Amino acid sequence: MNRKLFYALNALLLITFVAAFALDFSAEWRTWQRQYFDRMAAHFDSEAREATDPAQAASFERQAKAARRESLMVRQLIARDLGRIDRCVTCHVGMDEFANPSLRTPFKEHPFAGHPDVEGLGKAHSFQKYGCSVCHAGQGLATTVDAAHGKVHHWEKPLLDGKLIQASCARCHQNTEGLKGAETVAMGKKLFETHGCKGCHAIRGDGGAVSVDLGRIADKPLEQIAGYNFSLIKKNGAPLPREDWALKEWIRAHLTQRPADFIPNDPFAKYNKEPIAPSGMPNFSEELPEGGAEAITAYLMSMTDEPIPMRFGVLTAAKSEPKFSDPVEHGKQVYRKYGCAGCHGLEAKAGRANFNALGPGQENPETDMDKGREPTLPDTVGTFTRDELRHKIQTGVSGANIVKFNPNGPTPPLYMPAWKEKIKGEELEDLISYLLSIKKKEEAW
Amino acid sequence: MADTTTVPPPPPPPSTSTPPAAFRLPTFDEARKYLIDSQIWRSVFRGGVWKDTPRDRSAHIIGNVWLHLHPVRIRPRALEWTYTWGLGGISFALFLILTVTGVLLMFYYRPTVGLAYRDMKDLEYAVTLGKLMRNMHRWGAQAMVVMVIAHMASVFLRGGYKKPREFNWGVGVLLLTLTLFLSFTGYLLPWDQLAIWAVTVGTNMAGATPMLGNEGPFSSLLGMRINNDVRFILLGGTTVGENTLLRFYVMHCVAVPLIVGALLILHFWRIRKDSFSAAPRDPNEQKLEVWPHLVVREYIAAAGCLLFIMLWSVLMNAPLEVEANPNVTPNPSKAPWYFVGLQELLVYFDPWIAGVALPNLIIVGLMAIPYIDTNAKGVGYYDWKGRRFANVMFMLGIVMWFILIFIGYYCRGPNYAWFWPWESWLIQKPAPPPTWSVFGPKGMAVLPIWLGVPVLGILGAAAMVLPKLIEKEIPERRSTLAFAGAVAAISVVAHFAFGMEWMQGVWLVFFATLYYYFGFLLPQMYIRSLDWIRYLVTMFLVVSTMGVLLKMGARLCFNIKYVLTVPAVSLNI
Repeated sequence: MNRKLFYALNALLLITFVAAFALDFSAEWRTWQRQYFDRMAAHFDSEAREATDPAQAASFERQAKAARRESLMVRQLIARDLGRIDRCVTCHVGMDEFANPSLRTPFKEHPFAGHPDVEGLGKAHSFQKYGCSVCHAGQGLATTVDAAHGKVHHWEKPLLDGKLIQASCARCHQNTEGLKGAETVAMGKKLFETHGCKGCHAIRGDGGAVSVDLGRIADKPLEQIAGYNFSLIKKNGAPLPREDWALKEWIRAHLTQRPADFIPNDPFAKYNKEPIAPSGMPNFSEELPEGGAEAITAYLMSMTDEPIPMRFGVLTAAKSEPKFSDPVEHGKQVYRKYGCAGCHGLEAKAGRANFNALGPGQENPETDMDKGREPTLPDTVGTFTRDELRHKIQTGVSGANIVKFNPNGPTPPLYMPAWKEKIKGEELEDLISYLLSIKKKEEAW
Repeated sequence: MADTTTVPPPPPPPSTSTPPAAFRLPTFDEARKYLIDSQIWRSVFRGGVWKDTPRDRSAHIIGNVWLHLHPVRIRPRALEWTYTWGLGGISFALFLILTVTGVLLMFYYRPTVGLAYRDMKDLEYAVTLGKLMRNMHRWGAQAMVVMVIAHMASVFLRGGYKKPREFNWGVGVLLLTLTLFLSFTGYLLPWDQLAIWAVTVGTNMAGATPMLGNEGPFSSLLGMRINNDVRFILLGGTTVGENTLLRFYVMHCVAVPLIVGALLILHFWRIRKDSFSAAPRDPNEQKLEVWPHLVVREYIAAAGCLLFIMLWSVLMNAPLEVEANPNVTPNPSKAPWYFVGLQELLVYFDPWIAGVALPNLIIVGLMAIPYIDTNAKGVGYYDWKGRRFANVMFMLGIVMWFILIFIGYYCRGPNYAWFWPWESWLIQKPAPPPTWSVFGPKGMAVLPIWLGVPVLGILGAAAMVLPKLIEKEIPERRSTLAFAGAVAAISVVAHFAFGMEWMQGVWLVFFATLYYYFGFLLPQMYIRSLDWIRYLVTMFLVVSTMGVLLKMGARLCFNIKYVLTVPAVSLNI
């Protein structure tokens, strides 16, 4: 019996060891690399057949032979300045300058296709210097398809697909306006400013302090988002499947859904000592133009602290602010500049929702807390004199001073900051002029 | 004159040399003999051509440095698989597997904050067989912890620690502790979120050491601060950082393996010197030769172990989480599974008890067992009836250990709230009910400190001596049922009179009956005849174990946070 066990165990050990080697040598990437070289060889063969010049035909045949003789190995780009090693070219061989000096391939489908725009983008961003993952994100060190694309558990920066890749442009290019290929992220930045996001969300200190600073939002770890709240995200109307949970979905949902529907809150103090108001962030899904949510997401996905050496940055002089002769026009620009639209509405048309503040149509304290609104400026500015309005803007309205609709409910989440330090002098005066100009005309008796 | 006749030339001598033979190839045996008798071979392998005789078999054992720890002949009883289940040997085989895979991993892994995680990724994706080596190392480590605990239980249940083997049992307990420490230091090396936070949980317990830790009781006596206490020595800093990584790497790869190696040498030497374990002799038994009988069984066990680890490693990949980020704490953060039982105790006890006092008490208690166990029965064989007290109390400890691990691992979710194993961690759970303390300063507890110390002292002393003082024979099953019934009756009365919940009554009956059975009845039945020193030491261990159960019951039943709290010296029980 022992003899049988002895031989059987030894045999099984040998088989397992060989199997482990075999598994290693049948790794995914070998299939793709082998296919690339086979296809290139076939391509050169057909080129050789169709070539009229015998010298050219011979050259093609040589290239075909070289492609067939290529040994399979893990290929990588070492971007030393960025501290990254990218093994994407193990499968995407056409993008490796050593294996494919021309960086062009006759193939259209991945992973055999060459990198688009080698002349423009490729020349400006040498692959040897940049690698791949600094722009495309994903897991450069991996050599399996799903892991390399970052579409695996425990990798939080998956491939930036579609227009989102422009987020990487904004990390080095300080000014994306007018930058070819960065139109989406430029639009995102513009929308962020015009729709008043800046009034509540500063970007590295530039903007309001009502809500979180978004200057490092792309580094937010998924651990800091409660799973319960992530499960409330919807994409195209359906709940997001677990394998698609990624930061970009969380950010995008803020712009395509009503934020109070999924951001943590506890308005009736079921789980906390004090009630926590639902998010004060307005529902922008109707307000943004086509592609606006994607654009703002791309802009915010560029907000990361991952270190890039200064010499990679493309710094431009700040655009000087446009000059206005008409104080009301200037005031309109000031309104837009400081993000007042975030609370008081696009072009001051209507105040945005503010949970448990006073608002139109409120009757039942239990159910109508969500009808609370910020003041609608055309209705309210008429009741202020110029001096009173100046004082109001300078001192703001703190949360404690906002009248609660339901006294037992939570403090309204949105308050008016004190703009004393930020809006001064001519800007303040012109802003007041603009506001007074939009007051609702009183009906004549 | 006679003619000198020519003497005929002497006949040619008969030919002694055979004519040169035609060249032929040597036979296999001739070639083999030539090779083995050559000077080169003989200098390396003494012994000549192998003949399967008792002489050669014994020479093979005595003359080989790796094998000569074995005796030449061995009792047939010791060869049965069911005797030891090979657990000690398998533990050692796993240690060797871990050493070999560990050394191979050391060719690629660099223990710095900037490179550790990247090297783990390299091993998985770029190094040939890197994934296999890493998996074998990780799964081998988990298996070794399990096997070492199983080996300890197996030796205990067969009384292999009794006189004269007490010291070797103590060495074994040290080896168990060092195995857990090896696993713990290795846990940090992947430098992912699981690693950094599990080690943070584990090492924060060091900060709660009485007197030597900056957050433990009496810390101000020696001027312990966060940057000079025992935790600081362990971490090389105030948080788990680059110094910790390097320190743990050196401990894991060099320092602790050397100590373990030395202790293993001692452990094996003692086994041999004490003739393995002394099961009672069978008058007709004939010893068998170690070569091949024992050696082939050892080989099969080791090969089976290696095959198991290899298959496990090929089929299941060890996880690697997000890179370690000191600013992001996972919720929940759990220690490695073999420490998660102690972490579960943190729900009921302060860190200095759950993380320092209890583990040390367990180690010291385990080492003390051979000296307090005077029962001569069951050495080398299982004796469930004759060693009832020892077996029951030991298995109580093992069962408690693994139940706490199960609860800590599968039943605790975000905010360490209770989640049944099938419940999703995405649902929201209400906050735990408010707690209160029994004895402590005014405003923090119901009764004053000056009352608490004598009351607890008297209760503890009573628990210690009562079993010895009560002489009469108590019927085991009847009295236990009667006790449980009485407590149940009290709970029913309390439900209707004071509004006690039914669940509280269930907890009360459960923990009170456990205390009665293990903490009073069994000691009264079995150890009251021990001498006072041994009796007190044994009862101290029993009462400590019961204390843990009772405190858990107090929390679950009455929401008691501390029985005694003295914040002035950070002493909370």
